[in-house]
Amino acid sequence: MSELFLIMPEIFLFLTLTFVVIGEIAYHGEQNRLIILTSLVGLGGALVQTLIAYRYGATEIFAHTYTVDGLSLFFKLLFIGLAALAVITVAHTNEVPIERKTEYCALILAGSLSMCLVASAADLILIFLSLLFLNMISYFLAGYGKTSVKSTEAAVKYMVFSTVAGTLLLYGMAILFGVSHSLNIYAIHHALTANTLTHPTILIIFMLVFAAISFQLGVFPMHLWTPDVLEGAPTPASAFLSVGCRAAGFAVAIRILIAIFTQNSSSQGQWQVMGSVDWTQILALVSGLTMAFGSLLAFRQKSAKRMVGCLVMAESGYLLLGLVVLDQVGIAAILYNLVIELFALVGIFYVLSFIFDELGSDLLVDLRGMLGRAVPECICLVLFLLCLVGMPPTPGFIGKFTLIGVALRHRWPVLGLIAIFSIAVSTVAVSKLAYSLLGEFKAAQPRALSFSETQVSGVWSRKIFLMSLVIPLLLIGVFAETVLDLAGRSLGFIFW
Amino acid sequence: MSQHLITITVLLPVLGALIQAFLPKSLAGDREGMNGGTLGRWLALVCSLGASITAVVLVASMRTQVPDLQASETYPWIGSYAISYDMGLDGLNALLVLLVATLFPILIAAEWNQKTGVRGMHGLFLILQASFFGTVCAQDIFLQFFFWSITCLPFYFLIGIWGGEKRESAAFHSIVSASMGNALVFGALILIYYAVDPHTFSLRELAGGRLNGKVFEILGFDCSVSTVSFILISVGLALRAPIWPLHGWFTRAAKEAPPSVFIALSAVTVPVAIYIFMRLSYSLFPETLPWAGQFIVSVGAINLIMGGVCAVAQNGLRPLMAFICLAEVGFVLVGVGSLSSAGVVGAVYQEMVLGFSVAGFGLFSGIIAERAGNSEFKDVKGLPLLGGIATRAPAIALVAGVIVASVLGFPGSGGFVGHSLMIIGSYAMHPVTLALAGASLLLATYYLFTMYRCLFLGKSSAGAREFADLTMREKTYLLPVVLGLLFCGLYPKPLLELVRPTVLTLLSTVK
Repeated sequence: MSELFLIMPEIFLFLTLTFVVIGEIAYHGEQNRLIILTSLVGLGGALVQTLIAYRYGATEIFAHTYTVDGLSLFFKLLFIGLAALAVITVAHTNEVPIERKTEYCALILAGSLSMCLVASAADLILIFLSLLFLNMISYFLAGYGKTSVKSTEAAVKYMVFSTVAGTLLLYGMAILFGVSHSLNIYAIHHALTANTLTHPTILIIFMLVFAAISFQLGVFPMHLWTPDVLEGAPTPASAFLSVGCRAAGFAVAIRILIAIFTQNSSSQGQWQVMGSVDWTQILALVSGLTMAFGSLLAFRQKSAKRMVGCLVMAESGYLLLGLVVLDQVGIAAILYNLVIELFALVGIFYVLSFIFDELGSDLLVDLRGMLGRAVPECICLVLFLLCLVGMPPTPGFIGKFTLIGVALRHRWPVLGLIAIFSIAVSTVAVSKLAYSLLGEFKAAQPRALSFSETQVSGVWSRKIFLMSLVIPLLLIGVFAETVLDLAGRSLGFIFW
Repeated sequence: MSQHLITITVLLPVLGALIQAFLPKSLAGDREGMNGGTLGRWLALVCSLGASITAVVLVASMRTQVPDLQASETYPWIGSYAISYDMGLDGLNALLVLLVATLFPILIAAEWNQKTGVRGMHGLFLILQASFFGTVCAQDIFLQFFFWSITCLPFYFLIGIWGGEKRESAAFHSIVSASMGNALVFGALILIYYAVDPHTFSLRELAGGRLNGKVFEILGFDCSVSTVSFILISVGLALRAPIWPLHGWFTRAAKEAPPSVFIALSAVTVPVAIYIFMRLSYSLFPETLPWAGQFIVSVGAINLIMGGVCAVAQNGLRPLMAFICLAEVGFVLVGVGSLSSAGVVGAVYQEMVLGFSVAGFGLFSGIIAERAGNSEFKDVKGLPLLGGIATRAPAIALVAGVIVASVLGFPGSGGFVGHSLMIIGSYAMHPVTLALAGASLLLATYYLFTMYRCLFLGKSSAGAREFADLTMREKTYLLPVVLGLLFCGLYPKPLLELVRPTVLTLLSTVK
């Protein structure tokens, strides 16, 4: 019975999903507000349940297949929060037709449910299935703008990549099961510590598993989908995918890589590589390449959404720094950055979706003069973008500092340098975007009198939502200590 | 209240910027054009002046003859990384606080009649004021870098929106150079942070040779932390302050940026960059400085000569101002690198005077450009385009005269005290440099008086005949600059007494 208490968040999500689906069948395209409200209430309940679950400490349930510990609860909070923000985003957008918003809410709920499963899964089969579940939902979300060619292309790309990644993961897991005769990752850990594998075996397993994870994170070998999907998908879906898929990827990466491929090192809170394959070198290479590629690509983009897609890719590269070092401080830095990203990326895509509704385009040349028309929205957009690339005075700066700092402390100076230069390049890219928002400020002045007619900002619900993103973001910066501490404490009662 | 004066000084402009952003349009008088409601402008000015008044009170209440930090405020910010909000004033930064406090209200007043997006411009100026105050007062290098890197984006927008014909390229060059510079400084900070144990960013804890003898390994080579971070910081700051040969973006910005923005860029950013350089290198790198001093002096000498030679070739007031600034920076660097007490005190003093004189130069050249339509004062053959303004507008001529005198270092003007102190300080160590400095002063005399002759003296041209004299508003905002320059020249004692003890303490660790 107590096992059911521990999965209360998932049960809440599932019930809400059922209600939304029933509501959709019953009303079909009507009573949108009611259904959106239902989703938000359900998500709120799930959030509260997650907070309550913190009381129980780290446990394994359902025959050791499902872990409820600090790490998984942290990610669950993140995913449920993301789903709530995504539901509000879709309520405000015109990109999803009004009669299809309920369906969309159902997909978001299903997506967050799958992410929660990913965060907790400790069994190879469960990990595989929940990732499959997540990618299936993401595939629908990416292709949600059915009539748009780009959206269809995004969905197909996502499906092809996810199929390849899933297959590779399955091969990797099959070999892993073959050598350890176990499906539970902690049991595998014990089996592997007891008798070490040969060099090529562990290398192949690592490469297969990491290739699959790299798809989920959107990093180097499987990074190509990131800009395409984030550009092609309807903008609210991009917000959900950009944070959700990658965060789920990090949840899996932290759990699998730490549990299977490392062993406790002599110093407190750190690990060392298991066996003779130093896979942190591979991880470091991937991280460096992704940072450099992402920021350089972002610099060349002409479309705002695609540029953000490239920045997101670079972002994954920075976050990998926290994993390369095999230190709890690094993991805490990843978690801190993910919280910042949650607000920053949702905010960016929210404003971009609003701009897309107004202009029907997200090309940098078309954005010109937008700042004059929607001042609060554009100021927030610039703030979120700066936060994403890690410029002061935003908390993103502190986030990047924690990551680069931990990399340097563990003697990865070259990675630190690459990261700093990628940040500089990304800043220039973001300045380009910010500058295009200003556009022909002077030229626009002759028709300054018509400004009031083209003035599009001023909807209070939108301003309130933006404030609800900006204020937590600033608080994360001011009370960085507290948030870092929370991230650290989530690791405190983790089930390694 | 009095314990939080620095925080109030930093936060007031931020408050002003927020007001500018959220003030309803109907109240701000944006749409009615310049004759409409002026509440927005007045609020901007009041916030900026309020911060300036608290800053002046701060400096005025400082005890002289004391080397320690005063009015300091310390709160932990990110404890697990030993980052704190640590602000304080001493002799090294007090004068710059005065500079920032004086110039920003003046800039806001100078852009009073800006027709396009006046609220945006004033808001950005206020953000700049806050972040420069923060940069100057911060005693934690992370905090200092935090404020310092905020300053690069407002400039990007100020140049990119309100600039001239090629503003996009000028703005782009400035942001590229600034973000590369920031990246280098950031790299150095992290290097320093991890070199000491326990890790810290606090200047007080890092001071006194904590970095001496620390090495780190990169690609198999052992490098001295002190040397590598010194180089990173120097190059990083040289990308923000125009140091030859990294000054390309600066001259570009000089041509395109609006006059007031270029004043903020040359008269505030440059002294603040030199201040950061002095603060970090004197307190963190006592081991590197003795040999780096030679290097700093030679870079300074090159700048002196390059600035002078290039300034001779200019026909426009704006590029001329850029190269005057370059030459002045060279002079200050000679003082910084001399490592003698008189030279360094002179450099600190000259930082402020440089700000005032360059700002004054920018202000009157902006006024002339506004009236005459362009800022060219002679054609390619060297014949004057304007002329005889002095008879039509004696007030401008007088102001320009005082400023030119100060740039040249005439006795009685601020430049005299700074220049002579630096010359006294560096004579013993670098006599050759002093010959160069003398030569560059001769050059300066030549190009400044050519400029003055072409503009103010001689036969009146058609353009000069309708030239209106200074309005009341212009007189009001030029007055503090002129008075400041004269005060610095005639009675430098109270200011020098503030500077000297701190400099002596800092230099004692170097030797």
